[in-house]
Amino acid sequence: MRHLISILLQNEAGALARVAGLFAARGYNIESLTVAATHDADASRLSLTIFGDDAVVEQIIKQSRKLVDVLEIVELTRRNHVERELLVARVETGNEDLLALCLERHSARLLDRSDDSFIVEYTGRSEDVDRFVDALGATADVRDYARSGIAAIEQRVPLAV
Amino acid sequence: MNAQLDSIGDIGRPYAPPVHPLAGQVMTGADIVVQVLADEGLAVLFGYSGGAILPVYDAVFRFNEAHAGADGTDPMPLIVPANEQGACFMAAGYARASGKVGVALVTSGPGATNAVTPVRDSMADSIPLVVISGQVPCASIGTDAFQEAPISTIMGACAKHVFLVTDASTLEATLRTAFHIARSGRPGPVVVDIPKDVQNAPLVFQGERQLPVRGYRMRLEAVTSARLDNASCASFFDALGKARRPLIYAGGGVISAEASQALRKFAHAFGIPVTTTLMGIGGFDTTDPLALHMLGMHGTAYANYAMDDCDFVFALGARFDDRVVGVPDQFAPKARTIAQIDIDPAEIGKVKRVDWHHVGTLDLALDRLRRYGIEHGFAPLDDGRYAAWHTHIADLKRVHALDYQRDGDLIQPYAVIQAINRITEGKAIISTGVGQHQMWAAQYFDFREPRRWLTSGSMGTMGFGLPAAIGAQFARRDLTVIDIDGDASIRMNIGEMETVTTYNLPVKIVVMNNAGDGMVRQWQKLFFKGRFSASDKSLHKKDFVCAAKADGFEWAERLDDPARIEATIASFLAFDGPAFLEVVIDPDAGVYPMVGPGACYAQMITGDHIASRNERLPDATEPTGMF
Repeated sequence: MRHLISILLQNEAGALARVAGLFAARGYNIESLTVAATHDADASRLSLTIFGDDAVVEQIIKQSRKLVDVLEIVELTRRNHVERELLVARVETGNEDLLALCLERHSARLLDRSDDSFIVEYTGRSEDVDRFVDALGATADVRDYARSGIAAIEQRVPLAV
Repeated sequence: MNAQLDSIGDIGRPYAPPVHPLAGQVMTGADIVVQVLADEGLAVLFGYSGGAILPVYDAVFRFNEAHAGADGTDPMPLIVPANEQGACFMAAGYARASGKVGVALVTSGPGATNAVTPVRDSMADSIPLVVISGQVPCASIGTDAFQEAPISTIMGACAKHVFLVTDASTLEATLRTAFHIARSGRPGPVVVDIPKDVQNAPLVFQGERQLPVRGYRMRLEAVTSARLDNASCASFFDALGKARRPLIYAGGGVISAEASQALRKFAHAFGIPVTTTLMGIGGFDTTDPLALHMLGMHGTAYANYAMDDCDFVFALGARFDDRVVGVPDQFAPKARTIAQIDIDPAEIGKVKRVDWHHVGTLDLALDRLRRYGIEHGFAPLDDGRYAAWHTHIADLKRVHALDYQRDGDLIQPYAVIQAINRITEGKAIISTGVGQHQMWAAQYFDFREPRRWLTSGSMGTMGFGLPAAIGAQFARRDLTVIDIDGDASIRMNIGEMETVTTYNLPVKIVVMNNAGDGMVRQWQKLFFKGRFSASDKSLHKKDFVCAAKADGFEWAERLDDPARIEATIASFLAFDGPAFLEVVIDPDAGVYPMVGPGACYAQMITGDHIASRNERLPDATEPTGMF
C-alpha cells in the first residue's frame, strides 16, 4: 500500500540521511521525496512516499520518531490532506497549436520556447501528472522531464460537532 | 547547520550549578570539552590519541596538571588501550557496571572507524556512551584529507545520535546535550565529531545551556511524565486476576531503568515467577525462589517450559528479540494476555501483539501497579490462585535443572564456572566474550544484583569481554571483576591484556580454551553435517600463558586437570593483582538447552544431561535460513 509520510525535521548535519537510512535499511525504495525549508527557520519539511506493508511502515515510522532530529512525523495517507507534484518538461513539436490546446485542457503553462523546443509546467496530484505526461506524449515529442516529488500538507481538522 | 540556542535549551541540568564558577572565561574549544567532562563528574576517560584530537588530549593533560591530587594523582585519568575499539568497550564496560555515561576520546579517520563496533554494540544494548572524535578541520571536510572519514554519516546509522560540530559557538551546548541524550529515555551512544579548528577556537565558557532538540525533549517529557491511571491499573489486574499461571519476562530495561528493587517488590507482593533475558540477568536475584533464570535460545529448560505453560506474560523492558521468541506465533502459545511496559514506544507490540501496555518509566509503573493491587485487595498469595503454578514451577526447576557430564578426564566448563561461583557468590562482576563460554556463564553463575553481568547481548561482539572488564574495574574498584572469555573471543582484543597490567588492575581473566570457535562448531555439528569450516584452531600456536607473562601477568597458569579445579580457582581469585587463567576444556562440551534458530520452545534440544519433557527429536542437519 502507498504511504505518504510528512516529517518535520530539524536542520542538522546528516538528519536527512538518517531518516532515509531507516527506510533504506528495510529495503524500501523511496518513491518520492521532497525536502525544503518551512516557516520555522530551524526546521525542514519532508514529504516522503513509499509503497510497502502497513505493519512494516508503521514500525519504520515509530523508529523514525525516535530520531533526535525529528520534530514531528505523521502518515498523511491516514488523514485528510492535499498533495501536489510539479512537472517541468521539455518537448519538441512542429504543431504549436496542438500543444497549446493540450496545455489549456490540462491547465498547464508554457514557460519557455526556442524554435520547436518548448518547456512546459504542470502541477497536480501524482496521478494527474502521469495523465498529463501521457497526453503530452500524444501531442508532442517529450525529450526530457523532471518531477518534483510530492509536497503535501494536512488539511485543517474539522471541529467535532 | 547546527540548531541555534534558545530558551528551550535551558531545560533540566541537575549536574550544573546555577552559575558556573568558570562562566565567562575565555577558553579554547578543547578546554571546554574537558571542562564539560569534569562537570559531568567523569572519573576516568578512555582513548587513543592522534592528530585530529591532539588539542583535547593537551587540554586533558593541562587539566590533570592543574587539578592534581595531593598525592599527585590525576583527577581525570586517561586510560590508553591497544586500539580504539578497546577504549570504547572500556567506556561501555564502565557504563554498564556503574550506570553512568562512559566516555571515550578518539582521533579522526581510523580512530573513529575503530569506534564503530562498540558504538553499534552500545546502541543495540542501550548503553549510555559519549564518544568524542576528532575530525579534520572544517575547511578540509570532504576533501579526502589525511585521516578523514565521514563519521557523522557512518555513526548516524549506528548511534542514538551524532553531532558534527561545525559552528564552534555551539560546542559547549552540544556536549552537554550529548550527555543528556545518551542517558535519557532509552539510553544509547552519542558521537560528537569535533573538527580540529573547532577544538582550537577561542570561545567564552558559559557553564550551562543545551541545544533545544525540541522533538526529542517533547517525546521524552511525554514518556517520563506518563502515569498509569486507575482504569489502566484496573484492566491490568482484571487480566492478572483471571490468570492462573502468570510469568514476568524481564529484559535489559530493568537494569537501565534501575528498576530491580521495584521488580523484586512487585514479584514478591503477588508471587509471580520471573525469567530474564540475557540482558536482564541481575535485574532479579537469580537465587530468589521465584527466579527462573534466563529464557530463550540457550535459556534454562525450566524457564522455557514455564513460558510455554504460562497464561499471562508481563514483559518489562524486554523487546521479544529473535533469540528469545524464536517463532513469534508460537511464543507463549497459551498466554491469554500479554502485558508490556517499555520506555520506547517503538517496542510496544513490535514482535507480538500485546493486550495491555504502558509506555513510561519502569520503576514508577511497577510501584504504582503494586500499590494499586494491594489497595484493591489483590492477594494471590493469600487466596492461593497461583498455588498450583508455584508447585508446577518448582517441579520444572527440579526435573529440568541444568546439568552436565560429571565424570571424565576432560574439564567441563560448567564445573569451572560453578567453582568460581562458589567463591564469588553472585557478587562479582562478570564480563564475557561471545559464544559458548558466554552462554555457560549466563547459565551457571548466580547474579544477586544488577550491573554485575556485562555481555554483548544484541550485537554479539567477540572481543567485548576483556576491555569491558577493564572499564568495569575502573567503575567498581571495590568488586572482583572477572572476564570469562573464549580462546577465539579474547584473540580479538588480546592487545588489552597489556592494558590490564599497565594500570595494575586486579582483573581476573579466564580463557576457556576449546581450540576454536565452539559455538560455530556447535552449529556446524547440528546444521551443517559436521563440516567445521574455519572454526578449528587446534593447530594454532599461541601459548596463552606465555602471552600473559609477556604482558606482565605475574599470576598466569594453565589448568587442564579436573582434580585441580578447586585449588587452582581459589589461588587464582585470591591473587592480589592481575591474574590470567587458561582452562583447557572438553572441546565437545556443548551449550544446552538449545532452541534452534527458527524453532519454537517445544522443539528445544536439551542435550544428554538435562531432562526433556518431549520425545527426543532428531537433530536437525540441514542448513536453515534463520540466523
